Amino acid sequence: MEKQNKAPAVNMKQVEKIITGYKGQKWALIPLAQEIQEKIGYIPPEAIPRIAGSLGLFPSQVQGVVSFYSQLYTHPRGRNIVSVCRGTACHVRGGKSILKLVKQHLGVDEGQTTEDMEYTLETVACLGVCALAPNMMINKDTHGNLNPKKISRIFGRNKKE
Amino acid sequence: MEAITIVLNGVPVSGFPGTSILDLARESGVYIPTLCYDENLVSVGACRLCLVEDERNGALLASCVAPISPGMVIKTNSPRVVEHRKKILKLLLASHPDTCLVCDKGNRCHLRKLAAEMGIGLVEYQKIPQPDVIEELNPFIERDLSKCVMCGKCIRADQELVVEGAIDYMNRGTAVRPATLNDVPLEKSECTFCGTCVAVCPTGAIMEKNRTYTGTAMTTVTTVCPYCGCGCTVLLGIKDGKIIYTRPAPTSPVNRGTLCARGSYGLDFVHSPDRLKSPLIKVDGRFKETTWEEALSVVADRFMQIKKADGADALGVFGASKCTNEENYLLQRFTRSVLGTNNIDNGSRLYNAASRVGLGTTLGYTGTTGSLETLERSSVIFVIGADPEISAPAISFAIKRAVKFKGAQLIVIDPRRTPLTQFAALWLRPRPGTDIALLNGLAKLIIDEKRMDEEYVTRMTDNFAAWAKSLSNYTLARVEDLTGIRVKDLQAAARLLAGAEEGSIVYGNGITQQPESAGAVIAIANLAMLTGNAGRRGGIFALERENNAHGACDMGALPDFLPGYQDLSDVQARKRLEERWHCSLSSRPGLTAMEMIQAAEAGVVKGMFIIGENPMVAFPQPSRVKEALSKLEFIVVADMFLTEMAGLASVVLPAASFAEKEGTFTNFAGIIQRVQKALEPVGISLPDSEIIMRLARASGSPMPFSSLQQVREEIERIVPFYHPAAAAHARTGDPDLSDVDDTMPGNRRLYHGLFPRGFGRFVPVEYTPIIDEKTNGHRFTLMVGSSRYRFGADGRSSRSARLKQFSPGDYLEISAVDAGGLGVNGVSRVKVVSAHGELLTYLKINDSLPRGLLYMPLSYSGGVYELFPAVLSAGTKAPALKTCAVRLERITEDGEAK
Ligand code: SF4
Ligand code: SF4
Ligand code: SF4
Ligand code: FES
Ligand code: FES
Repeated sequence: MEKQNKAPAVNMKQVEKIITGYKGQKWALIPLAQEIQEKIGYIPPEAIPRIAGSLGLFPSQVQGVVSFYSQLYTHPRGRNIVSVCRGTACHVRGGKSILKLVKQHLGVDEGQTTEDMEYTLETVACLGVCALAPNMMINKDTHGNLNPKKISRIFGRNKKE
Repeated sequence: MEAITIVLNGVPVSGFPGTSILDLARESGVYIPTLCYDENLVSVGACRLCLVEDERNGALLASCVAPISPGMVIKTNSPRVVEHRKKILKLLLASHPDTCLVCDKGNRCHLRKLAAEMGIGLVEYQKIPQPDVIEELNPFIERDLSKCVMCGKCIRADQELVVEGAIDYMNRGTAVRPATLNDVPLEKSECTFCGTCVAVCPTGAIMEKNRTYTGTAMTTVTTVCPYCGCGCTVLLGIKDGKIIYTRPAPTSPVNRGTLCARGSYGLDFVHSPDRLKSPLIKVDGRFKETTWEEALSVVADRFMQIKKADGADALGVFGASKCTNEENYLLQRFTRSVLGTNNIDNGSRLYNAASRVGLGTTLGYTGTTGSLETLERSSVIFVIGADPEISAPAISFAIKRAVKFKGAQLIVIDPRRTPLTQFAALWLRPRPGTDIALLNGLAKLIIDEKRMDEEYVTRMTDNFAAWAKSLSNYTLARVEDLTGIRVKDLQAAARLLAGAEEGSIVYGNGITQQPESAGAVIAIANLAMLTGNAGRRGGIFALERENNAHGACDMGALPDFLPGYQDLSDVQARKRLEERWHCSLSSRPGLTAMEMIQAAEAGVVKGMFIIGENPMVAFPQPSRVKEALSKLEFIVVADMFLTEMAGLASVVLPAASFAEKEGTFTNFAGIIQRVQKALEPVGISLPDSEIIMRLARASGSPMPFSSLQQVREEIERIVPFYHPAAAAHARTGDPDLSDVDDTMPGNRRLYHGLFPRGFGRFVPVEYTPIIDEKTNGHRFTLMVGSSRYRFGADGRSSRSARLKQFSPGDYLEISAVDAGGLGVNGVSRVKVVSAHGELLTYLKINDSLPRGLLYMPLSYSGGVYELFPAVLSAGTKAPALKTCAVRLERITEDGEAK
């Protein structure tokens, strides 16, 4: 099931404007990428050749740098980030089924964003609150001692089959 | 600089500061294993296999990146080093799928070789194969990145050597790998299939695809690519009489480890089933196979009959810009001394006659003035009417390296976007055919702004005042008006070029195939001299289409020059040759290629000998050429294939390919390079040299050579710049021929930084508008040029299975706006009509074309030259083959034109 996000149309004019501000400054790739992400939410792939052209780099080089940093995204992200823990403690206490449930509720796979741009589903190695396992985080809030009921309560309205 | 001394494995050795430990070790003959190191690439120290130990402090250093420093005591093989190296290699192997036994890289896999060297068995690390082959449709390269060890060589080769930027690292951690933009297959990326990354990959991660023959090469033969005038050195891997792979020679000063798609994947024409295997003779309109004896005696008899009945000038010889120097020399000697005529010309007439005339009148010699190294170190590079990325890739690589890594400023002058324009500091788009106005305008601007190189102009040139005066009406306003280039850009270009520490001008067929071609070349030479960039610093670089265009002309395969550009009218020169050749030479200049065809049409020339050329594709008005040639009483063709041309012949002689013979080719910069035999000729085909010598014997005038070496010795004596000393200087790029007899006329090189005549001459040239038939609704300008995956008249490239598969047919590029206006799209079939002919083809939208301009590649047998008039320019006797006025007609479903 290949779920493609219907991202809201990117305002390329705005991207273009940001890029122009860094013209010819090869070293400025990272600040430029950060600024685009800050203002647009992510780095649209179609911006990569433009960034490259403006800085005098190859598009493949720009992609290399952007894909190197986990904090730079080339896909639009949802308004809320759901991070399900797949650390050891959570794993032994059913973390795997929690992830499966969340997936069912949101109708997306790991790394994907719901069509309405509400949620992006990610996994993390350990949230550092193993005592409450199984855990997940939504934005800055941790949700512990998860069970199917709790999941339903949290995502209730969103259940998709 | 003081040398630094270190102790290497107990022996003191020294090198200059900055030298890496590895380089010094290699110089001293000490072996250190490496994986990510390559002599042509910047070292990154990625694999750490090249570890060595500094005994003073036990530090382990990656020798490929660690520079030598005073007092170092280096051990390359201490137990600690060996242990670490083994560990590293095991780690690499542990993440490498154990499919080695079925891996095609086989014995060329460097990883496997290192494992064997260090005694690490592969079986120890038996793992499940994880094939990760990327679905790729191209017929050239396949990737299985599960075998990638992340040495980064492919990426560095792609970015540092060929400067395409098709691949770079993607992702991080364990997911990292070399990838194209958006991770698409290579054929959808910027990749040009040059094969350079394939050659450097130490594992089977990037490999050549669709090899007809597999296995491990038994021998490797170093020879020269037979396609373009760059003359890249190639290594042919040979097994059982077949070329199983082609690799760039890492040390060649021309290509430095790179090739283009034609060189890497286009040499399989050698094994084409179409190769002619024995002589053919036409009996009742059909070819039948025959023996060499019969074929050659028929040829000799018929030539001698025609000579007796109608005179020697009823014979004509055309050929050989693809053949070796030795073959060209023999051919012109045969033509002049056995046939007795000067009717000899070669295929480069169509694209380099303008250089011979234009550079001849100004500089006094006939070609490129510097080496690729000169070009690469230039601070400003001015490219006009040339698309070297397509027509002469090795030159393009050098230009891009200069821009990317050496800070050169590039000025591109071309109405079309070319792959070079994205590297340009300045891209000017003149209206087609207005180059002379542009060049004159720039020259005037430089003089007016007092930016010329006064000292150079005073000391090295003459006729400056008269020429400068001739520029008076090339005012900025007028030049802007004529060319369509804004004053601001004209000024920027003039200032850049004039301000260059070292400036080079590169031109190609966009200049040499226009109607005023010789004039345009003169204007280029004027500009180069004005800025002091002709020979002493920077230079003029004339691209050549065919591999040995330069050599064929040097050897005198020309109707108006004896070998080495000695004038036919020079009694002394003729006498020297007459004594040597025991004959008397005609002083009457012969006919050029097109003139021979016109003379055939008129019934004046009655017999022709055509070697490796195909006038029925390469000349304007192919159908008229065919009619003209059909009138000949007798045609002999020597070729590898039964081309359209060979089909007309009475006798066809099967010629050996470049891989099946010995000799030399001279590249665009005058470097003479060795061609070495790798294979036996197919069937009973023979090298052209042998064909010509046997024909001379059959004609009753055998030539006194029993080996090519003897031919070479005669060439060295007659053509001064083929003297080994001169050739060596050409190779080093250091043009100093002081130890050669420089009283001989026609030396190609500038010696002592001086012109052969002692000075360069400014020559006024006037811009004349192209008289194009824009009436009659011919409202488009069609431009014709080279294509990446097909070449020249297409005889060879159409018989390369992979090139043909990837780029099967002809097409016409049109801008989206023009296509919209005509109501056609990217799949429409159209009829292209000029005042001289018409053809059918498919449209392809190219948004970078300006409105009104169309582009069509020449190298498909689509007969694009049918559209061009067969008018010869007075100075060069060559037809203009660059642009012509056309109109388009849409073809409807049922094939009706609309
Ligand atoms: S084949 Fe050439 S252009 Fe393509 S990725 Fe390799 S080096 Fe780059
Ligand atoms: S594909 Fe080959 S050359 Fe490129 S990084 Fe991997 S192993 Fe090295
Ligand atoms: S650049 Fe020219 S000589 Fe070199 S490989 Fe390509 S076609 Fe051959
Ligand atoms: S393992 Fe899940 S929070 Fe630590
Ligand atoms: S060869 Fe030196 S680090 Fe790879």
